[in-house]
Amino acid sequence: MIERVSGIALNTFRESIRDKVLVTLIVFAVLVMGSARVIQPLALGEEAKIVKDLGLSAITLFCVLISILVGGRIVYREVEKRTIYIILAKPVRRWEFILGKYLGLMAVLVVSLAVMTAAFYAILLVLGVGAPLYLMLAVLMTLFQLAILTAVAVQFSTFSTPITGAVFTFAVYFVGHLLRDLKLLAAMNPSPVVKVVSYILYYALPNLGNFNIRPEVVYGAPLDPLALLFSGLYALVYTATLLLISTLIFNRKEF
Amino acid sequence: MASLSEPVISVTRLSKVYRSGFRMKRIQALTDISLEVERGEIFGFLGPNGAGKTTFIKVLMGLTEPTTGGALVFGRPPRDAAAKARLGFLPESPYFYDHLTAREFLSLATRLSAVPKSEAAGRITGLLRLLRMEIAADVQMRGFSRGMLQRMGIAQALVADPELVVLDEPMGGLDPIGRKEFRDIIVDLRDRGKTVFFSTHILSDVEMICDRVGIVIEGRMAEVGRLSEILTGEVESVEVTVRGVTGKTQKILERVSRHTIKSGDELLLTVKSEEEVEKIMAICREVGGIRVVGIVPHRPTLEDYFMAHVAQAGRKP
Repeated sequence: MIERVSGIALNTFRESIRDKVLVTLIVFAVLVMGSARVIQPLALGEEAKIVKDLGLSAITLFCVLISILVGGRIVYREVEKRTIYIILAKPVRRWEFILGKYLGLMAVLVVSLAVMTAAFYAILLVLGVGAPLYLMLAVLMTLFQLAILTAVAVQFSTFSTPITGAVFTFAVYFVGHLLRDLKLLAAMNPSPVVKVVSYILYYALPNLGNFNIRPEVVYGAPLDPLALLFSGLYALVYTATLLLISTLIFNRKEF
Repeated sequence: MASLSEPVISVTRLSKVYRSGFRMKRIQALTDISLEVERGEIFGFLGPNGAGKTTFIKVLMGLTEPTTGGALVFGRPPRDAAAKARLGFLPESPYFYDHLTAREFLSLATRLSAVPKSEAAGRITGLLRLLRMEIAADVQMRGFSRGMLQRMGIAQALVADPELVVLDEPMGGLDPIGRKEFRDIIVDLRDRGKTVFFSTHILSDVEMICDRVGIVIEGRMAEVGRLSEILTGEVESVEVTVRGVTGKTQKILERVSRHTIKSGDELLLTVKSEEEVEKIMAICREVGGIRVVGIVPHRPTLEDYFMAHVAQAGRKP
């Protein structure tokens, strides 16, 4: 089982690493982080915070783009190009295929995060604004967030086209960051329809806002270790559930 | 483990209906097909384009589910991993991962097919040599020609040394040399006790190597049997070539034969039976000055048989 899942994961990793889209996105991320040098004189004494905030935001944004753009076509492409015939005619179970594709893309995201984070710390050192290690906590939370988002993208990829999948995954990402507001809306709005829809969305969609600890690490606010641990567990359970649903959908699929 | 006498492929009353488009239009791809393929035989699955050959193979590979009826491979459902561990599959017009080199792709195939690590490298090198792909072993497959992709397709199908090899239009895109090599590989597989099931619409390949054939037309199995049973070997017509025929004799000979073609001083006569050949010989002896230079008996080919079935079904291949 491990051999088959890792084989599919390695293939997915190779495919993405050799894709120009990935390299382009990483280069753009580093350029955006480097642009902090340009805005530094405008920061009026807040340069350290602005450079760190901009860098961490760029890491999150570009990794989210990789997750959505690559993840959205990850299963669809195998079906469209009919490479799936070769894979599923071998003793590969469908859940092994889904898990392998997911883990391969997560490996790509881990490498991308590592490259961007290394570039981020290099920029912090060059600009001399301090490069504390606790900033890594924000990167770790981004990884948890990406774990969920990639599972969402893979799920859409099992039944929709890359563009539709990307749009819906982005919608989940967007709404996933506004869930606290959505709950507030449900509480305040008198319409029962709005209340029901808002509560359904609140409980069904991933609460990605929990993973945004950027303001805390940039401004040095205290962090609750238990909350971080809970976020990690939440990501694990939510991801596992999504992959299970993806497998159920993929199991029923005919080619 | 299936017993030796158990069919490798067993299909019972298989039908497949697709629903297509917004109005879910019903498309009957396969109708009531039953078939058994025995161990160690080369089975040719023949049919015109769109007859349902690929759909049938997809059911065997567990890629699609039958609407009614069922299929078993090594006595197990097609999606069972234990059944798939014993087979190799080459899809029609295969497309592989552009970003992988030939060696990387075969390495992936060994990992997915549970080939022991200690054997994988040797297996890959051997297949690259067998299929004359050594020179392109470390080149990304994005630049491969159709023929090269077809070779990679058969290589990945054979990587686990499977007991059953299923090939969907394996000769597509191959030049005559490539087709000869593929035929040799298929015959070699049978000689090593493997079972080969392949679909094609190239009849000469089937005639040369198949033990049994199944002819599928419009989703129905029109005929299944040994080639020797289907093609009985009875003489259907005889072509007699004579030289030195004059105008008057030609008219006499034309009355005996079904069809004549004049070419220079030679006359080609097509007759139905050996008795009619005797009549022509007698006329030639009687008239004098006419020489019989060739007698060729014609037996029905698989193509004749196939075309007759297609015509019966009211369509052209």
